[in-house]
Amino acid sequence: MTLAIEAHQLVKRYSGRGGSDVEAVRGVDLEVAEGEVFGFLGPNGAGKSTTVRMLTTLMSITSGTARVAGVDVAAEPDRARKQIGVALQEAGLDPRQTGRELLILQCRLFGQSKGAAVARSSELLALVDLEDAADRRVKTYSGGMKRRLDLASALVHEPSVLFLDEPTTGLDPASRLSVWEEMRRINGRGTTVFLTTQYLEEADQLCNRLAIIDEGRIVREGTPAELKAELRRRKKLKRNPTLDEVFLDATGRSRERAAGEVQEVSA
Amino acid sequence: MSMPAQAWILGNRALREATRTPDSSIPTLFIPLFFLIVNVGQAADVFPSDATPFLFGQSYAAFQLPSSLLLAASFGSAALYLVEDIEGGYFDKLRATPISRTAIVMGRLTAEAAKGVLITIILVLISLPFGVHIESGLLGWVLLIVLAASWGVVFSAFMQILALKTRSAAATNSGSLIFFPLLFLTPNFVPRELLTRPMEIAASFNPVTYIMEGLRSLVLQDIQWGTVGKGFAVVAVAGVLAVFLNVRTIRNYD
Repeated sequence: MTLAIEAHQLVKRYSGRGGSDVEAVRGVDLEVAEGEVFGFLGPNGAGKSTTVRMLTTLMSITSGTARVAGVDVAAEPDRARKQIGVALQEAGLDPRQTGRELLILQCRLFGQSKGAAVARSSELLALVDLEDAADRRVKTYSGGMKRRLDLASALVHEPSVLFLDEPTTGLDPASRLSVWEEMRRINGRGTTVFLTTQYLEEADQLCNRLAIIDEGRIVREGTPAELKAELRRRKKLKRNPTLDEVFLDATGRSRERAAGEVQEVSA
Repeated sequence: MSMPAQAWILGNRALREATRTPDSSIPTLFIPLFFLIVNVGQAADVFPSDATPFLFGQSYAAFQLPSSLLLAASFGSAALYLVEDIEGGYFDKLRATPISRTAIVMGRLTAEAAKGVLITIILVLISLPFGVHIESGLLGWVLLIVLAASWGVVFSAFMQILALKTRSAAATNSGSLIFFPLLFLTPNFVPRELLTRPMEIAASFNPVTYIMEGLRSLVLQDIQWGTVGKGFAVVAVAGVLAVFLNVRTIRNYD
């Protein structure tokens, strides 16, 4: 099996106030195969985004190692960046540019010539169905349109690994469905997708395998079916549990406590 | 792609941003112009051109113009736009690209240089009807524009460090006020030798003084290479320091 993402004993420690250290990620091991859609679940503050930021070179690693597409992200960040597409929690877009300008700029920053950048941006605008809005400024876009544009901007260089950090948070069901479709299409072209989400239904629908992180540690890992079967066996349940039951069991949270942290959605 | 090419691409984006928010340039022009008019209105009669040796036969507006140019240079918006990028997530998008970290900070400064050139030209042109002329000729014009715009870039670079450190528009805005006294601890109204002794000492320690004197000499006299050179030297040293600190800050940005 060729690995797209490989993390070993990944740790992120911050200096807290009063000299005390805060460990946001406490020795995470991850192995994601090429071509997988890998779900990374966890309650708020569990360490999901911190892990993603370390894997995508946006945050320094306190200890441990991480390789994406075979490249050590700490030792060769620029080489790693050429292999990685990133769409973070906040759609990182410049509201004063048009969608087309933003994509052309992104293409240019990945080293494409002006002509190639124009052609690639048109191709991506068609892919995410934003051709009609291409020459409008981003600030006029709806939330769903911004998400799709953000996704397109993460794809300009045809990355081998795409990191999506809560890409559907705050979207209406129709927009969420459209992002799911894009994700499937991108994965269908061979791109490995690392998806963090708070929506368990989303993980169940999209992910081949997933890991649940809680308080900086991986507490469950496997396919959705394996995780459900394990819980059913262990708890001697008569029916197949849902993924949210797996999540609650893994994180030791009650439904009431988790209500504010994890949402179940259907789209 | 080379670092300057990457900075140029990002600079173009920052310029496009500026053309789409023209209202942000209004204070940059209006406030320095306001101070020019008020200061000249208050002191022009005290310093008549025919009886004031340090005016070299020009109006008091010519003496005041460099103060307004330096004031305009301190209204650079690069740092505030940078905070917007940080808060909106676009800064992370840029950091996730395989471009030089130096290019990310130099991009906005490239745009500030272009804006500084334009604003300096406009302010000098506006001052011409007030009896100002650039005594040092065409080369003096060029040096005046380059020196004023370069200081604008350096000032913006220091503000960018604040933006990168604090990641807050309010803190960056407040931080710029720290630099404001530097503009006034200078031979703002009269030459340094006519200041009171404590003010003269303070002004002599203030690097902005040498930029102001360089600009002023270009307006009032033939090119005085020694005076102009000191102005450029201050800009060069401060510029190298500011860019070094910018690059170090962005490299350690988590």
